[in-house]
Amino acid sequence: MNLERLPNEEKLILCRKYYLGGFAFLPFLWLVNVVWFFREAFVKPAYTEQLQIKAYVKWSAVGLLFWVAVLTTWITIFQHFRAQWGEVGDSLSFTIPLGTP
Amino acid sequence: MANNAEDVENNFMGQPESAAGPEPRQQQQQQQEGGTRLRTRGGSGVGRGEGGGPEQNGHPPAARPAVQEAEEDEDEEMTLKYGAKHVIMLFVPVTLCMAVVVATIKSVGFYTRKDGQRLIYTPFPEDTDTVGQRAVNSILNATIMITVIIVMTLVLVLLYKYRCYKVIHGWLFLSSLFLLFFFSYIYLQEVFKTYNVAMDYFTVVIVIWNFGVVGMMCIHWKGPLRLQQAYLIMISALMALVFIKYLPEWTAWLILAVISVYDLLAVLCPKGPLRILVETAQERNEPIFPALIYSSTMVWLVNMADTGGPRRESAEETQEAAPEPAESPPPLSSPQDDGGFTPSWVSQQEHQLGQLQSTEETRRQIQQMPSARPPAEEDEEERGVKLGLGDFIFYSMLVGKAAASGDWNTTLACFVAILIGLCLTLLLLAIFKKALPALPISIFFGLVFYFATDNLVRPFMDKLALHQFYI
Repeated sequence: MNLERLPNEEKLILCRKYYLGGFAFLPFLWLVNVVWFFREAFVKPAYTEQLQIKAYVKWSAVGLLFWVAVLTTWITIFQHFRAQWGEVGDSLSFTIPLGTP
Repeated sequence: MANNAEDVENNFMGQPESAAGPEPRQQQQQQQEGGTRLRTRGGSGVGRGEGGGPEQNGHPPAARPAVQEAEEDEDEEMTLKYGAKHVIMLFVPVTLCMAVVVATIKSVGFYTRKDGQRLIYTPFPEDTDTVGQRAVNSILNATIMITVIIVMTLVLVLLYKYRCYKVIHGWLFLSSLFLLFFFSYIYLQEVFKTYNVAMDYFTVVIVIWNFGVVGMMCIHWKGPLRLQQAYLIMISALMALVFIKYLPEWTAWLILAVISVYDLLAVLCPKGPLRILVETAQERNEPIFPALIYSSTMVWLVNMADTGGPRRESAEETQEAAPEPAESPPPLSSPQDDGGFTPSWVSQQEHQLGQLQSTEETRRQIQQMPSARPPAEEDEEERGVKLGLGDFIFYSMLVGKAAASGDWNTTLACFVAILIGLCLTLLLLAIFKKALPALPISIFFGLVFYFATDNLVRPFMDKLALHQFYI
């Protein structure tokens, strides 16, 4: 899908759909939104819909940062304390490494 | 069958505007005057293989060829429908897919470990007492597999003929769903186990959920082109890994050989199912379900004259996630949906859909394209080449098996062989301008190189190394 060839209204609709979709626990979708529409929102000369696209990209970036923070924190906590949690740690684990921690 | 699909899909997309339809027709008429007349294209032309029928698209923007041809005299000029650029455009994804498969095979032991599980399609074991029994078993396995593939292809053709589009769409959707979620889950699990990394369910669920949903969106709906291509490469690699794991040795090689032959027959014979599919699609002049094709660029269609202004339409060569016929591993209870997942079906889908895709696009383009278009517009349009996902899968499977046997010489030899085969196929495509099977030449070369290297070159090199004799 080449954004260049889409009319502006459709770009806005697509950007909005990606933004709304990200609320379903999909930070990756927000990342795609930010990267894909970045040029459209910030580099291209202004056009009518650009303001809204800019807003969507910005809020997608905010949501993405939030998710990154949450995931990083959780992963750090888990990796660090997994061994100490004993049974709870094991039941939370998808894969359990072999050997002594 | 999968091959067929793949083969069929080996259309080169001339002009992104899936102007395949309109252009070939226009060109055909023009061409009929001058016999086989190839148009010269500036720069890299894109060879487009149209499957079957009278439509051969010389494509690229109709305007340009028309303009050019009008200007030129009756002399026939040789033109390449595609240039080196398009060959490279296919090399990169094929290489990437193979690289992913080889890297996984070499690092993750899961895919080379024979756990004794087999697919339901290959019920005969290969760990028999005698070589003869093993040979018989592998032939039986391959026969069953090919029969399944043929049946799936026929079912697909019938479904298409009787306009059961919803069934096909649903099937495709479920296929890609299964592949994107389940197989990548297994893959992730094995990678974590290999590297002895702890991972919790929460993170894994989030990762798989994101990967799968964005994948479905990119493949079946709208998404950035690069991401779509990346997803198609990834699912092809996943599928190839499944094949490598669950098909026994001799069966796998036999299947590769037989499927190449089947691909050849199904695409080129007048009564071949894939050919019928393509021709039906052309007759109906209608867009079909998303195709399982890898397309290197987007196809763009610009309609100028009629609407009085540029009305842009993107004819996407949607690379739908091929519903990879996932052979559900035997220990798992395969849901009913898996019935449709056969490699043949996928391949059929792929190449059939691929052709269908191009045909519908061409038709769309024909309808939309004015007879004369300013050349400037054409320059903006990108041209791309298309290759079926089944082709990716079987190429990667061959190279993966070569890697699994342990030797880097063999792996590289097979890799080179497949690329050479791909080049030749593209060359033939440029010459014949119809949909061609992409599997036969590459797989044939790959098989020859594999067995030659494994049985002749490797012992030779080993002996040399043993005696410290450098040449």
